Parts: sequence; C-alpha cells; structure tokens
Amino acid sequence: MTGRVIGGTSAPMAAPPAPTLPRLEARIARLLTIGTLASVALLAIGAVLALANGIPPIQAPPPFDPGAIVADVTSLRPTGFIWLGLLGTLLTPASRVIAALVGFARTGERGMTLVAALILIVIAAGVVAGTVGE
Amino acid sequence: MDVGLLMLGGGVVAGIFGSLLGLGGGVLIVPLLTIGFGLPVRDAVGVSLICVIMTSGASASVYLERQVANLRLGMLLELFTATGAVIGGAIAFLLDPRILEGLFAVLLVYTAWTMLSAARRRPVPAPADVPDGADPVADSTNVVDGSGSAPVAEAGAVAATAVEAVSGDHGPFVARLAGPGYGIRRLRPAAVLSVFAGIASALLGIGGGLIKVPVMHLVMGIPLRVATATSNLMIGITGSTSAIVYLLRGGINPFATAPTAVGVFLGASVGSRLAHRIDVRVLRLLFVLVLLYTAFEMARKAMGAA
Repeated sequence: MTGRVIGGTSAPMAAPPAPTLPRLEARIARLLTIGTLASVALLAIGAVLALANGIPPIQAPPPFDPGAIVADVTSLRPTGFIWLGLLGTLLTPASRVIAALVGFARTGERGMTLVAALILIVIAAGVVAGTVGE
Repeated sequence: MDVGLLMLGGGVVAGIFGSLLGLGGGVLIVPLLTIGFGLPVRDAVGVSLICVIMTSGASASVYLERQVANLRLGMLLELFTATGAVIGGAIAFLLDPRILEGLFAVLLVYTAWTMLSAARRRPVPAPADVPDGADPVADSTNVVDGSGSAPVAEAGAVAATAVEAVSGDHGPFVARLAGPGYGIRRLRPAAVLSVFAGIASALLGIGGGLIKVPVMHLVMGIPLRVATATSNLMIGITGSTSAIVYLLRGGINPFATAPTAVGVFLGASVGSRLAHRIDVRVLRLLFVLVLLYTAFEMARKAMGAA
C-alpha cells in the first residue's frame, strides 16, 4: 500500500516544509501569548482563592512542592493554582527556546540550533544551582 | 483593606507607570514591596522577576509578530544573559540583604539620571511598528535610529566563531545575525556585558533593559527599536533562569507574587493603551523625584536606619 499522492504526482509523501524565520517567529509569538495568558489566569484564580480564604500575602511562604500541585488544584487550594501559574510563567520562555531549536534544526541552521541547545543547558544549570543550594 | 488587594492595586499602578514611563517593572515593584509592604528585599526581587517575565512575554510576542525583534541575535545574547542570571541567582542568596538594598538604591539613582537625561532631549516620535508603552528603555534614551548601517564586522568574535566551529555552519554566523538595514559589530564586548546584565537582573529583579538596550544600540550598532524589542524578548529567558534558582531556594512567596503579578500585567495592558494619549514629559520629571526619594529610603534601609 502506498501513501496518498499529493498533487497528482507519484512521489512519496514529503515531510512538511521547514518553517521560515517569519513563520517560526509567528509560532513563537503565539506560544508566548498563550503561555503568558494561561499563567496570568492561573495566578488570578490563585489570588482570588487566597483572598477568599483570608490568606495574608506577608507570611512565610509555603515550600514549593511540585508533587502536591495536582491535589491542591483539585481541592481548589490557592497554592496549587499559584504554583501552576508560576511554573507556566517560568516554562513559557523555555518552551519558546525548544520551539526555536526545533525550527532551526528543521531549516538546517546548525549554529542557531546549537545556541538554542546551549540555552537549555544553562537553564538546566539554573535548576542545579537552585537545587544544590536548597 | 486586605493586603492582597492592596498588592493588586500597587501592581496595577506599577504596571501603568512602568508602561507609561518606559521603565521595567522591577524598578518600581521591588521598592513597592520592600518599603510599602515590608517584604524582605530578596522576596521582593523574586516577585519582581515573575512580573517582568510576564510583561515581557506579552510584549515580546507583539514584537515578534511584527518582526521587529531579532530572534537570532536575541537568542545568542540570551545565552550570555542567562549564564549571568545563574551566577546572579546563586550570588543573591550569599549576599547580605542590605547589600542588595544598597545596590538597588544605586540602580534607582541611575534610572532617575537616565530619565532626566531623556527629558532634556528633544522628543522623537516613536516608530509606528513598535507597540507604544511596551518599551522598557527606548523612551529613556530617546534616540531613534531606524536605519542603522553599521557593517557586518568582527566575525572573529569569540562566541560566534565558537558556534561556527562547533556547528560547522557554512558562511559567517555573524552575518546571519544581521537584520534588514543593519549589521552586527563588537559581539565580544556585547557578550561580556550581557553576562553582567544577567547578573544585575538576578540580583535586583529587573529585566535588564537598562543595560541590554544601550549595549545593543551603542556598542553593537543595532537600531534602537530593534534593540528594545530584542531586549524585551531576552527578558523571558534571563528572568526565568534566575527565577528558577529563586523558586527552588524558597525565594518566591506565592501569596505575594500572585496579586502583584496579576496587577502589574493588568496595569501594563492599560498603560500601553494610554501611552500615546499622554504627554509623559512632565510625568517623567515628577517621577525622577519619586525615584530619588525611593533611592534615599532604600539607602536608609541598607544602612539599617529604616
């Protein structure tokens, strides 16, 4: 069985075209917008829940516990929404770099692909620096 | 009144003024939270980092859609700002908070000086393709150069040649960083200065546009509107890298961050719509006084007098 022929030719189905820079920029822009708005929405829900529960902002912050986020969200606890919003805020720029890495790799720009990979390594170094000093 | 609501309101005001005056959020948020709400300076920096990432994410998407930001150049430089951010994030937890307060007082005086310098210059209309008010520094430097013509040079810059050598890219890597009507020069000092911008961002909770935009514009010869847009794009990675360190070390207070960040986001959205309707020159001069007073208060805190 052969793949569906596009455009009446008998050539095998081609891979989707690599994105040009303006298309890549448009994709990244969309990613940033969606990530930012989703993060703001989660933080807003968390802030409203904290206000409703009378939690004062000036107090010793609870420790960041990623494992408790899902349970906190399903229980409508403010910390779950706020931590999720904060993670969204922090991961949106990193996901932009991943999108750029994929885009540059597909267009064969090895230099920029390497730069994007190095940025991700530096971000990982930030995780190590945060964890080591915890 | 609930402190959370006050923080939300404070965030809205900081967002509006930051947007109108072309200031990054951190310059306003850190003093607001430390002097206004008594938050420890390191916690305030953590909150501020989240705020600047958020506002930059929204405006960077606009800059990218309009193809004003230089994605390749921004990514190359953010490799260095992010490295500085890791260093700064680690240093921030070693320093006495009073040193951070003292450094912030210096930053406020520097910001006031740049705003005063800008107010003395003749205003230049903002280019049409850059969103009004979303520009952290352009207003404060007030130099519009839409057609920079610096030649593509300094291909021997360390970072670029290293990338070329490792990746095996054909053709000068630096040449690909150039944009329409402008080239790239002095990449090596720009890379070094970018590391310092990242350190400053992590220590003080600022976007770092006060350093990055002049570096790109004055050192590298990038047109100001492109430098501003590219700096804005870079804030996300710079801020998030240091914010990760803060988060994992318990330096981000979620209950203070949520209302402040939502407020700043809303305020920045309002400010960007008001910017073209308001003559900010008088506002800017008044704000210089506010910044100087805030610098005085921060300096007093640093010396243990407040």
